Amino acid sequence: MGLLSDPSISTQSKLVDGLARHVRKVCYALYVAGVAWFFCLALPEFNHGTYLSENALSPGLVYPEIRIDANRLAIQLLEELQRERKDHLSTTPHAWIAAKMNEFGLETHTHNYTLRYPFGGGKEYHGKNIYGILRAPRIASTEGIVFAAPYRAASSVHTDISASVPLLLAFADFARRKNYWAKDLIFLVTEQEQLGMQAWLEAYHDGDRDLDVSKAYLRPGNLPARAGSLQAALNIEVQDLEIDHVDVRIEGLNGKLPNLDMFNLVQRIMAREGIASGYKQAPRKKRRHSQSAFEQNLRQMLTMLASQSSGVPNGNHGLFHRYRIDALTIAANRRATHATLKGSPGSAAVPLLKAIEGIARSLNNLLERFHQSFFFYVIVNNDRYISIGDYMPALVALVACAFVKAYLTWSTLPALNAELETAAGLVRTQELNQELELEQEQEQKMQFEADSDTDKFELPYGSVLIYLTATLLIGFLCNVLPLQQYFLEIPMGAAPLTTSVLSFLSLIGFILPFVVVLPPGGLELLHVAFLLIYGCALIVIGLLNFALGFFAAVLTVPLVISLETKEENSRSTLRNSIRLVTLVMNPMMVIYVIVLAMTFYQFPELPLQKIMLRAATAAMDASAYGLIDSVIYGNWLYFVICTIFLPLWIICWTLALSKRRDYADYLDFDESPSTTPQPKVKTN
Amino acid sequence: MFAKFVIISAALILANCHAVASEGNAVLPENFVAAAQRSTHTNNWAVLVDASRFWFNYRHVANVLSIYRSVKRLGIPDSQIILMIADDMACNARNPRPGQVYNNANQHINVYGDDVEVDYRGYEVTVENFVRLLTGRTQNGTARSKKLLSDAGSNVLIYLTGHGGDGFLKFQDSEEITSQELADGIQQMWEKKRYNELFFMVDTCQAASLYEKFTSPNVLAVASSLVGEDSLSHHVDPSIGVYMIDRYTYYALEFLEKVQPFSKRTIGEFLQVCPKRVCISTVGVRKDLYRRDPHKVPITDFFGAIRPTRVSTDRINVTLANEDDFVVDKDDLVAKKPFKIVMESQFPSELFK
Repeated sequence: MGLLSDPSISTQSKLVDGLARHVRKVCYALYVAGVAWFFCLALPEFNHGTYLSENALSPGLVYPEIRIDANRLAIQLLEELQRERKDHLSTTPHAWIAAKMNEFGLETHTHNYTLRYPFGGGKEYHGKNIYGILRAPRIASTEGIVFAAPYRAASSVHTDISASVPLLLAFADFARRKNYWAKDLIFLVTEQEQLGMQAWLEAYHDGDRDLDVSKAYLRPGNLPARAGSLQAALNIEVQDLEIDHVDVRIEGLNGKLPNLDMFNLVQRIMAREGIASGYKQAPRKKRRHSQSAFEQNLRQMLTMLASQSSGVPNGNHGLFHRYRIDALTIAANRRATHATLKGSPGSAAVPLLKAIEGIARSLNNLLERFHQSFFFYVIVNNDRYISIGDYMPALVALVACAFVKAYLTWSTLPALNAELETAAGLVRTQELNQELELEQEQEQKMQFEADSDTDKFELPYGSVLIYLTATLLIGFLCNVLPLQQYFLEIPMGAAPLTTSVLSFLSLIGFILPFVVVLPPGGLELLHVAFLLIYGCALIVIGLLNFALGFFAAVLTVPLVISLETKEENSRSTLRNSIRLVTLVMNPMMVIYVIVLAMTFYQFPELPLQKIMLRAATAAMDASAYGLIDSVIYGNWLYFVICTIFLPLWIICWTLALSKRRDYADYLDFDESPSTTPQPKVKTN
Repeated sequence: MFAKFVIISAALILANCHAVASEGNAVLPENFVAAAQRSTHTNNWAVLVDASRFWFNYRHVANVLSIYRSVKRLGIPDSQIILMIADDMACNARNPRPGQVYNNANQHINVYGDDVEVDYRGYEVTVENFVRLLTGRTQNGTARSKKLLSDAGSNVLIYLTGHGGDGFLKFQDSEEITSQELADGIQQMWEKKRYNELFFMVDTCQAASLYEKFTSPNVLAVASSLVGEDSLSHHVDPSIGVYMIDRYTYYALEFLEKVQPFSKRTIGEFLQVCPKRVCISTVGVRKDLYRRDPHKVPITDFFGAIRPTRVSTDRINVTLANEDDFVVDKDDLVAKKPFKIVMESQFPSELFK
C-alpha cells in the first residue's frame, strides 16, 4: 500500500486531530461563508460596472440611416401579414414570406425538417423554415450574421409576436441597399418555437455531413445555401410595432450566456435610441423604486440564476450558443395603453429599427468572434455584473465542505481500525491505564501501530467499489431505459413512461441499502468516496452551469455535512430527521417539491389536494420534457440528475441508514472483501 | 592644426546652445554660426509608416496618407518616399466609400487619391522589413522602390503611427519594435552614412518613449505624447463610423497645408503646432542631438525636396542615336515563315448544320 494512501500510517498532527473532532463546525462555517459571500455580491462594492472591451464594435459611432419609410414598410407588411394569418390559422404563410424576401432581392431558400417523436408509438412532424441571404457585396462569403424572427401561428398558445417578421423584412429591405456589409446577413424566419431553430442550426452545421440519421429523432436535412461561419445572431421577438420596453434575453442552452460585450452593445445602442431596455426589464408602471439597491440586485441575481439553472433557453437565441455563436433575443413588449403615446403612430418602430441597424453595423465591424469580454457572469443590474472570478468563491466554499470533511473523515480511519480491531478482540494487549483519556488514546494508537505490522485490518475497497458501480449503473439505466425500443413500443405517453422508469429505478436505489450491507469499515470508506465524488461533481457542474451547481450545493451541502456513519454518538432523533431529509432530497422528490411550489404560486385559489395532484402531473411532464430536451436539444439537465444526482442520493441514503452487520458476523469474517454479496440490480 | 580643431569643435558645441548663439555672444564668429546653421543636405527622403491594421484603426491610415500627401505636394518624389501601410482601408468591405480614404468628416480631400504609391502593404509591414529598410540590409531581389537609397547628404523624415506603449510600437497586432531597436537602427544609419539629418516624428500613445534611447547625432525628434500619456483621436465621421484622424497629426497637417515649397516657415514653428489645450496630450520634443537651431531651419528641409542641379561650364557632348538603329531590316521580315493558327471550334456547330 502506498505511503500516501495508507491510512494505517499515522500522519496525523494535533491540528488534524483537533479539527476532526469539530468537523461539522468547520464545515458549517465554510457553508455560511460561501452563502454570505454570495449575498455580498449584491452589494455595489462587490460587483463591477459594465464596459465594452472589444474595440472593433465601436458602437454608436455611426448615425443610423434607417428612416421613417422603413417603418411605413413595416406597417404595410404587418397589415398584409394579418390578412395572411386569417387564412393560415395554425400554419405559417411560407409563400408570402418567401415572396417578400424574393421581392426585396434576398437569396431566398426554404429548409424542411422532420421530427420523429419517439414516444407514444412514434409520430412524425414536418416543419419548414424560410431564410434569405444578403451577400456581402465586396467580400467572400466566409462569415455571416443571423437575424432571426420566430413565427407563431395564430392558434399558438404563446404571446402573439407577429410583428417580428414585418420588422425583420423592413430591416432587410434597408440593409439590401447598403454597400458596407463585410459579412453575409441571413434573415431567418423559423416556426414551431425552438424546434425550427434547432433544426436549422443542425442543418447549417452538420447538414452536409454524412451522419447516420436513422437513429436521430430530429432529422434536420440539409440547407441549399450557407453564408460561412456564423459570428453572431440576433433574435427578434416583437409583440407590436408600438413598443413599451425591450427585454434582453440572454440565457441559453445549459445556462450558457452570450459574451458580455454583446449584451453591453445592445444595452448601449438601445440607450442611444432612447428605448427602455434591460435584462428582465419590467413594464414602465411596474418598475418599483421602493426596494433598496441591495434587494433589487439580489432579486435580479436570483432570477437570473433560477432561469439559468434549468438549462432551458428562454428564447431561440439560446440554441446558437451550442455552436459557439453569440446570440441574444430582443423581446419588444407591446405598449399597454395608447394614451401615453408620444410620437405619431407612423413612426413608432423607428427607434427599434435604428437600434437593430446600430447593432447590425457594430456586429459587421467584428473582426473575429466575441472573445474579449466575459462568457461567465451574472447580471446584477443593467450596467453592473459579477464575473466568474467573483462568484466562484461562493461555490468553492460550499464544495470545500465536502473535501474538508472527506479529508478529516479519512484521517480518522486509522483510529477506527483500531476500534474495530479492539472490538473484534484482535488486540488483547491493552493495559488498564485510566489516567487521562487523551493519554489512553495515544497509547492505544501506539499499540495499534506496533501491532499493525502483524495483523493489519484491510479496508473493504473492493466491495465499496462494487457498490459504487452498482449505484452508477442505476443512474446509467435511467438514461438508457426510457429510450429502448421495447419501452417505446408500449402505447404510453412520454410522461408516464419516463416517470415509471425513474420511480422504479429510484425504488431499487431505496431498497439497495436494506439488501446489501457493507462489511465493517465499508460505510466509512463509502462516506469518504461519496464526499469526493459529490465535491467533484458539484464543482464540475458549477463550472459548466454555475446556477445549477450553486443551487444544488446550497440545497444539499447542509445534509451532506450532517451525515454521520459513526454509531456510538448517534442520537436517534437527529438520526431519524437526517433520514427523513435524505428521503425528501431524492431527485424525484425535489422536482416534485419545486413543481408544487410553482403550482402553488401560480394557482393559489385551488384547494391543496388539487394543487398536489396537478403538481404531480406537471412533475411527470417535467421529467418527460427533460428527457426530450436532452435527446433533441442536447440539454444535459436530465443526464446530470440521472447520472450524478440519483446515484449520489442512493449512496447518501445508504449512509443515512448506516446498516451494519453485527459484530458477531464479522468476527468470522475472513478479511477478504470478495465475499461481499453482489448488489442486486439486475432486476430489469 | 590641433588648436584650430579645438576652436572649431568648441564653436560647434557652443552653436548648439541656442541662448549663446542668439544673444550674439562675441565668443563665436558670425561665420561659424552661419556655417553651422546652413543646411548641407543634397536630397530628401521620407519613410512613412502606418503600423496598425483593422478597420477601427482607419485613422492611422488617414494619418500616414495625409503626411504622404503633404510631403509629395512639397516636392519629394514618389521614388524617394517609402510608404508602409499595414492594412487596406480603401478597399475594406466595411468602407461605405470604396476606394477612398478621408482624413476629415467634411470629406474634402480623398487622401487615397489617384496616385498613391504604397511600397510596403498589408503583411509586408513588419518590424523586420522596417529595420532592414532603415539600415539598408534589404534582402536580395528587393525592388528598388522598396529601398531607402539615401546617402550622407540625405535629410530623412521618418513618420510612425499606430498603437504604442512605453518603449514600443506595435506592428500588425502581432509584434513590436522597441525603442532600443529603433535607436540601434538609426545608429547604424548614421554609421553607414545613410543620412545627413533625421527628423523623427511619431504619433502614438506614449510616443516620447520611442526616441528616448537615441544616441546618434543630427536627429530631431517629436512625439505626440509623453510617457504615460495617451494620444487621442480628433473626431468621428458618423457616416463612415470610424475615427478619422489623430489629434497631433490633424494639427500638424493644418500647419503643413499652409506651407508652400518656397515658404519660410521653420521646423521650430512646426514643433509647436499642437499645444496641450488642443492636443490634450503633451507634445514631446528632443533637440539635444540636433546641432542647428530649429527656429532657423526651414520646414522644407525635411518636408520638401531639393532637386539636384549642377551648373556646368564645360562643353558636354550629347550623342544622339543613329537613325539606322531604329530601322528594321526588311530581309528579316521576309525570312520569317508565316504559319497558320488553327483554332478548335468552341461549339460543336457543325453537328447542327
